[in-house]
Amino acid sequence: MGTTLPFLRLLTSEELKQIDQTGRRILERIGIRILDGDVLKRLKDEGAQVDYDDQRVRFEGGWLDQVVNRAPPSFVLYSRDGKNDLHLGEGNVYFGNGGRVFRVLDMATGGYRLTKLMDVGNTASLVHNLDNLRFYIIACQAHDIKPVNYHLLDFYYALNHTTKHVMGGCTDLHGAEQMWKLASIIAGGEDIFREKPFVSIITNTVSPLTIEANTLEIIDFCANRGIPVTCAPAPIAGATSPATLAGTLSQLHAEALAGVALAQVLAPGAKVLYGAVPTIMDLRKMDFTLGSVEMAMMNASAVQLAKLYNLPIYASAGVTEAKRPDIQAGFEKTVSCLTVAMTGADYIHLAAGMLDSANSISYEQYVIDNEIIGMINRVLSGINVNEDTMAFDVIERVGPGGNFITDDHTIDHMTDEFFYPNLSVRSNFDIWEERGKQNMLSQAYTRVREILEDGTDGLLDHDTIAEIKRAFPGSRLIW
Amino acid sequence: MSEFKALIEAVTKGDISKAVAETQKAIDAGGFIQAIIDEGLIAAMDEVGDNFSKGTIFVPQMLRSAKTMQECMKLLEPLLKEGDTSSKGKVIIGTVKGDLHDIGKNLVAMMMEGAGFTVTDLGVDVSPEKFVQKAQEVEPDIVAISALLSTTMPAMPQTIEALQKAGIRDKVKVIIGGAPVTAKYAQEIKADSYGADAGSAVTEAKKLMGIS
Repeated sequence: MGTTLPFLRLLTSEELKQIDQTGRRILERIGIRILDGDVLKRLKDEGAQVDYDDQRVRFEGGWLDQVVNRAPPSFVLYSRDGKNDLHLGEGNVYFGNGGRVFRVLDMATGGYRLTKLMDVGNTASLVHNLDNLRFYIIACQAHDIKPVNYHLLDFYYALNHTTKHVMGGCTDLHGAEQMWKLASIIAGGEDIFREKPFVSIITNTVSPLTIEANTLEIIDFCANRGIPVTCAPAPIAGATSPATLAGTLSQLHAEALAGVALAQVLAPGAKVLYGAVPTIMDLRKMDFTLGSVEMAMMNASAVQLAKLYNLPIYASAGVTEAKRPDIQAGFEKTVSCLTVAMTGADYIHLAAGMLDSANSISYEQYVIDNEIIGMINRVLSGINVNEDTMAFDVIERVGPGGNFITDDHTIDHMTDEFFYPNLSVRSNFDIWEERGKQNMLSQAYTRVREILEDGTDGLLDHDTIAEIKRAFPGSRLIW
Repeated sequence: MSEFKALIEAVTKGDISKAVAETQKAIDAGGFIQAIIDEGLIAAMDEVGDNFSKGTIFVPQMLRSAKTMQECMKLLEPLLKEGDTSSKGKVIIGTVKGDLHDIGKNLVAMMMEGAGFTVTDLGVDVSPEKFVQKAQEVEPDIVAISALLSTTMPAMPQTIEALQKAGIRDKVKVIIGGAPVTAKYAQEIKADSYGADAGSAVTEAKKLMGIS
């Protein structure tokens, strides 16, 4: 195809420069509060300006550039079967789901319930089977398991139900260690996992301008074992960052660059994604709002900021405030996914399954979002213009008054020019009535049942499972 | 395995030149013409129909196979003996007077041909008189009438009335279709059947002929 991203830029190059400079001024003058004495020392040794009294690190411009420059501009987030390797930093846009919700909408009862470990397996199966979702983020909290083996189990359930790249957060270093040991066994060895990591780790800064010791320990552990990381700021405009979008972007930029810089100090050359989860408060009643149009605009702008530094971005889109898969869900998701995708974001998370300001998921919403993303991917692939596609010869051959239906050219292109939705109703009225007046939700419900009836068996082989059991003796595991 | 394996494959793929060559080969080998049609062409089109129902092929591919079959039939028809049948029935089809839309009507015509009907396409803006005249000439089993506009729909009952007046209404079955047309409307104007889309038109036509 002849078209290339970005199709959209919300900031002019002058505006982009101003926000970048403000972000750098925040790092240089205000600095980041780092709640880890060991890391403060390592930063000082590397040449950062460290104020131990108020635990503040200030990033002088030249030093910042030198450290951030160690980050690779492109790298691969691997899948286990090689079918969904994600080449970040190469002009691709990948969509996937988002994580750590606590409620699921149960279509069978129409009510909500707390999420369980089986929901991790089920959502991983859904993502595994939905072509437009290219990576899996551990979707929800498992209320039915104890903290001690929490991340051993949630990563195990994820990896047992999809071969796509798995990303997740860890509560503490112990969880990250369990994840690494588990993934190394599945990979067939620590070195193999280091070479082709099929798991990556999400950490977050605490806005405004704070990074916890726990977060830094996890980054240190993972980045030094070749595991890609992001340290994603999630400033909320009007609450944990200024009410203005430009102000929130400036702060986000400072926090995101600090995350990248810290990872490069702890593990030079670490595979790191510039992180962005900017949102807003609805100031009328202080409702935290992930599904806002401003969230879409700020994420799209964050892509421009990340690209200024040639860094792949972990961006956010596709969230809604709606509590059910309804009209509001459809348009809030579409507006943000399309806006962010058109700026050329490498990795767009939260884009599937989410409802209720990312507090809830719905299985049906996964398949609906897969369809929305299919349409967006079609936009991204652009209009293919060449002699063959302009089809002068075909138009001449068919001539005035003819039709193109059975022409070779039609058959040659019928599968490469059009996006064919799986769920959208396209039949004529009578056929639609005959088939029981389907709608998006009824179609999605059926599709979910098909996937889960086929897909709930695990993907890991018996030998691997036996080895995992041996590696974690005495742990009461729910296999 | 059918002795017409290569022919069936060519027809299902819509490879016209290969299918015509295979048909000629079968004729030269002295095969029964009726067998070439039934076990070759019709068997192939049944397979195409199945694939279409399963969603593994698209409409253009199905129509292409239908076109391929028609080309093969051109070789076979002159050789048919009396009593042999190449057709599931004769159909005349047209868009009503005052209406110039023909995409849906063309689709129906092509799909009916593909299903083994012999179709005479009268084109667009076909007056009731023209329908009657052609019906007398061709002696079809089915008269298929299409309209896209609510404003040209009244020409449908007018056409049926004209068939009535000419004394041939009970010799033919009338099937109607088109975007604004409904099953209820078909009942109101005393048509025999109604096709919601091109695929259903073929199914309904088969029902009218007592075949399925």
